[in-house]
Amino acid sequence: MKPIDLSLFGAKGAIVEAAEGKWGMAIDQDLCTGCQACVVACAMENNVPFVGEIDAGYGRSMHWIRIERFWEGEYPEIRMTPYRPMLCQQCGNAPCEPVCPAYATVHSQSERINLQVYNRCVGTRYCANNCPYQVRSFNWRDYTDERVNDAIATLKNQYNPDVTVRRRGVMEKCTFCIQRIHRAQDRAKAEGREVQDGEFAPACAQACPADAIVFGRIDDLRSRVSRLIRQKHGVHYLEELGTQPRVTYLVGGAS
Amino acid sequence: MISSVVKWLSEPLGRVALLIVGLTVISGAAWGINVLQTTPEQPIEFPHVRHVSMGIPCLYCHPGATRGPSAGLPSPMKCWGCHQQMEITKTSPLLPPLVAAIENGTPLRWVPVAQVPDFVQFNHRPHLAAGLNCEDCHGNVAQMTIYQNPQVMNMGWCLNCHRERSAGNPELEKKLLDCGTCHY
Amino acid sequence: MSNTISRRDFLKLAGLGAATSAVLTGCGPAAKYVTRQPYFDMPEYTYHGESTYYATTCRECAAGCGLIVRTFQGRAIKVEGNPAHPVNRGKTCARGQATLQGLYNPDRIPGPIRQGRAGALSRQVMTWDEALDILAKLFQNTPADQMAFLLGPAPDHLYDLVVELAAHLGGPAPIRFGALSLFEGRTTLIQAAQELFGQAALPFFDLASADLVFSFGANFLETWISPVSYTRGLSTMRKGRDGRRGILVQFEARMSQTASVADEWIPIRLGSEGLVIAALARLVAEVQGRPADSFQEVTPDEAATAADIPPEMLYHLADRLATAARPLVLVGGSALAHRNGLQVAKAALALNALLGNVGREGGVFLSPPAPDGAPHSRLASVQEMAAFVQRLASGTVKTLFIHGVNPLFELPASLGLAEALKNVETIVSFATFPDETALQADYIFPDHHGLESFGYQRVMAGAKEAALSGLQPVVSPFHDTRATVDLLLAALAQAGRPLPYSDEFAFIQSKIRPLMTLAGGSFTAPEEHTFMALFQQHGGWWTLNDMRQQPSSPRGRIAVAMAAPEDGEFYLLPFVSPVLGEAGANKPWLQETPDPTTTVMWNTWVEINPKTAKKLGIKNDEVVRLIGPAGAIEVPVYVYPAIRPDTLAVPFGQGHTAYGRFAAGRGANPINLLLPILNEAGDLAFADVKVRLEKTGRKYSLSRLESRIGVYGEGLEEAH
Repeated sequence: MKPIDLSLFGAKGAIVEAAEGKWGMAIDQDLCTGCQACVVACAMENNVPFVGEIDAGYGRSMHWIRIERFWEGEYPEIRMTPYRPMLCQQCGNAPCEPVCPAYATVHSQSERINLQVYNRCVGTRYCANNCPYQVRSFNWRDYTDERVNDAIATLKNQYNPDVTVRRRGVMEKCTFCIQRIHRAQDRAKAEGREVQDGEFAPACAQACPADAIVFGRIDDLRSRVSRLIRQKHGVHYLEELGTQPRVTYLVGGAS
Repeated sequence: MISSVVKWLSEPLGRVALLIVGLTVISGAAWGINVLQTTPEQPIEFPHVRHVSMGIPCLYCHPGATRGPSAGLPSPMKCWGCHQQMEITKTSPLLPPLVAAIENGTPLRWVPVAQVPDFVQFNHRPHLAAGLNCEDCHGNVAQMTIYQNPQVMNMGWCLNCHRERSAGNPELEKKLLDCGTCHY
Repeated sequence: MSNTISRRDFLKLAGLGAATSAVLTGCGPAAKYVTRQPYFDMPEYTYHGESTYYATTCRECAAGCGLIVRTFQGRAIKVEGNPAHPVNRGKTCARGQATLQGLYNPDRIPGPIRQGRAGALSRQVMTWDEALDILAKLFQNTPADQMAFLLGPAPDHLYDLVVELAAHLGGPAPIRFGALSLFEGRTTLIQAAQELFGQAALPFFDLASADLVFSFGANFLETWISPVSYTRGLSTMRKGRDGRRGILVQFEARMSQTASVADEWIPIRLGSEGLVIAALARLVAEVQGRPADSFQEVTPDEAATAADIPPEMLYHLADRLATAARPLVLVGGSALAHRNGLQVAKAALALNALLGNVGREGGVFLSPPAPDGAPHSRLASVQEMAAFVQRLASGTVKTLFIHGVNPLFELPASLGLAEALKNVETIVSFATFPDETALQADYIFPDHHGLESFGYQRVMAGAKEAALSGLQPVVSPFHDTRATVDLLLAALAQAGRPLPYSDEFAFIQSKIRPLMTLAGGSFTAPEEHTFMALFQQHGGWWTLNDMRQQPSSPRGRIAVAMAAPEDGEFYLLPFVSPVLGEAGANKPWLQETPDPTTTVMWNTWVEINPKTAKKLGIKNDEVVRLIGPAGAIEVPVYVYPAIRPDTLAVPFGQGHTAYGRFAAGRGANPINLLLPILNEAGDLAFADVKVRLEKTGRKYSLSRLESRIGVYGEGLEEAH
């Protein structure tokens, strides 16, 4: 695909990647058991707030990763489709990027992922509206403010200092645990070497008891994730939209 | 209603009122700006100048800078390591808070001055590894008593240096000018 | 002056406006500067801005997974699995991940409290010296046989200490209980192994090497026995051996999370599990041309009718089972929760024996013993709990100590525990959280949270290796709590009946010392201090070899029949919430984690087949009353497409009346619908229950992650 410079249309900071990405993920839907360990691990790592029963009922829950499942048929011939962990696909050609009037959803040139810059975000929610995967969540209230939610006064002790605590009116989404990417790169650089494959993993992949989520460099053909995504049963959801997702789903299992 | 207020404001009394309100707001703003520029009160008026002039390196008290994000503030026990052997500890008018902290086993509540907002993930280590010295950002601490920032530590200031250092090196430029390098 | 404002003027005004608003919104020094409180004396191993990692053991259930906890400046930040630990190999489940929300829970008990059986948490704070006096007096004045200890399900150092303490004073041994064991059918499985193989140990089902698994009622991917370990087993099986992917077939009346992951879900009627297993066994024997004496009385057609599946399906399944290379039959949970549950368990183990996979890779083993070779102590069955409640009711127990379990929530109310507790003179609770039982205590002397404690825990199941998992504090105690073992040792000393241990750590050390002489362990050390340090650093001690026990050849007769429940409209299938487990309701992030199959958050629901719902004229979110033999609960309806039309299912985990702000007053507890009907092994026959359903005319919108409207507009009418 020929790269299009979207800055021609005034969307500065949004780019289309011609080359493959840098970081990528393979999710084996045949191994996923829907256990939600990744969902909770993500929330614990990234200071994702809980919103309470009522707001959750309005669809305001803040999960950065969710487990999707669909039904096929009717009882007794009913089947559940394999569980599908859905998170930000870190699109190479992300629909969320060109629509942000504040340039808060920009593409990282160095890590080749989609960024959400909280201090720039003004909460127009255009990006969430434009995301075909519906993986962006919006802070409808100050869920992390102890004046609003007094349980935070003690729960805040577990906040990860490497991740910004977001405020009301800010959009957020999966970052591929960029803080872990930075930490691993920084450590490798300090030790004068390259980051090894499997040296670190995002919170979801690290927790996954079924080993269904594998993370790594997709521009390195020897990495475990690139070997997995080259398998013939790998699919990219909604790739017909031209989003160039960096998350590959393996469906159907080993033959 | 509104028109009568506007009319009153154009009368002499109204103009005086307007002036008073205006002056109040401006002086309030000036006071606020002034407050933002003054350094906060510290538990001990720590004379950096004395310590640096004795030849103590910055990293002796702030050793975290070479390891990771935070340079760190020394614990009272670290101060005490030297001060318990020094005569001045008994005589100096600045030091009773340290003695009290040691006696009670309580930490000293320092107020960090060189700081960035919550949404910035600053890391000392790569900056030192890139060959920067402490004084490049923190100024000539050897001349200060209580530490003061030599400049406003805002994003423009960070980026100026990042631009200068990455100029002509596209790979480095990508890394140093990326939003995701500091904001996540 | 012109009427238009120039751009420059506008900017000036805007600048002034910004400065003013900064002042007026209080952007003063207090907002800009925050004080930092550095360590008074920083620990040597801590560096500024760097994390320290500690190995410990997860206390969210009794499986005993190893954890590595990331701490930062004295705070626990993140929990990860211990990659070296034999149970979980670096992985964790959702409940383990949320441990920190227990540690930093806003509703923890802050210190020793004179509770006085007040319904709410009392504010009468005491000092630990007073607490110690009270305990010492209790030890002095209560005759040993009128003292009782009720502990949580984990076989940990506290259990070992209380066993010694009870023997020392001459009283009855402590009892361990947890609701999960009730729902798992643990006692039944152990009893079945005892009767069939002559060895009382928990069967270990080797999923990883099997290629065809028939699973009856065991929700082994959710909460059953050791879910992380079994998930790893399934994952290995699915990745395939020699390029062949293993197949899982789940037999259950309701599509549980485990069944939804299975390749096939066979919705058999509740109570027919034993018949189906027996029919399969007979057919397998026929295919293999071997005698199957035990199962001759069962005819496959009858079994198929009882199970409500076509007979051809049963024949086909038996064919597959007989011809598979490494078949495995797994049984547990609701399949054992019938009056004939013990026979069902025996039938399943016997079928495995018939398939020739007992003690073979991909087959059935018995779990490893404790590292020192001692068999594991058993958890109390519901029968034993009922006897215990009787003892309490009779007034022969003067002092009751409760730790790590919340029986007022976890046992059916019909056992009458609430009444029985009134006949106990003094109740001392060591609860960390203000749960229902702690609030009925006279005193609460809170123990540390698991992440603040020293200790060890025997791994009962889930690992091939024999393991003693280690606990150590990852942070200093957040509240004024005290280790129960320390407290008991100190109280005994003050009462003049000391045990020979100076404190908790000395006790732990005395128990770990014998491991030093054992060969084949994960580490060795020449002397004790190093050994203890390594024990903590590694997160425990385990053998490197496979220590699973070979079952001996099966013997004995098996007689299975259809379980006959009480009269009622619908079969009731209570199941443990896969996300909350038995004790997750007080953690807000677990509450907000969607149930995997229904995506419901923060509440209890009842699952109804769409056809049944239509027939009854019930829609989603309608609140209905379920009337069981022992009580009634009101719950909103979730129309669930994958449940038998004759069955209703309700998750267990909510319905607390206490247990903190996130749990109290939320949802309903289905366990209170049940009468204490038991199977022959003494486990609760919770799936032998029928209930009636009544409409209440009220509606309650369940918060769910999924939309009520499908992709093709289904449910649109109902939504309006």
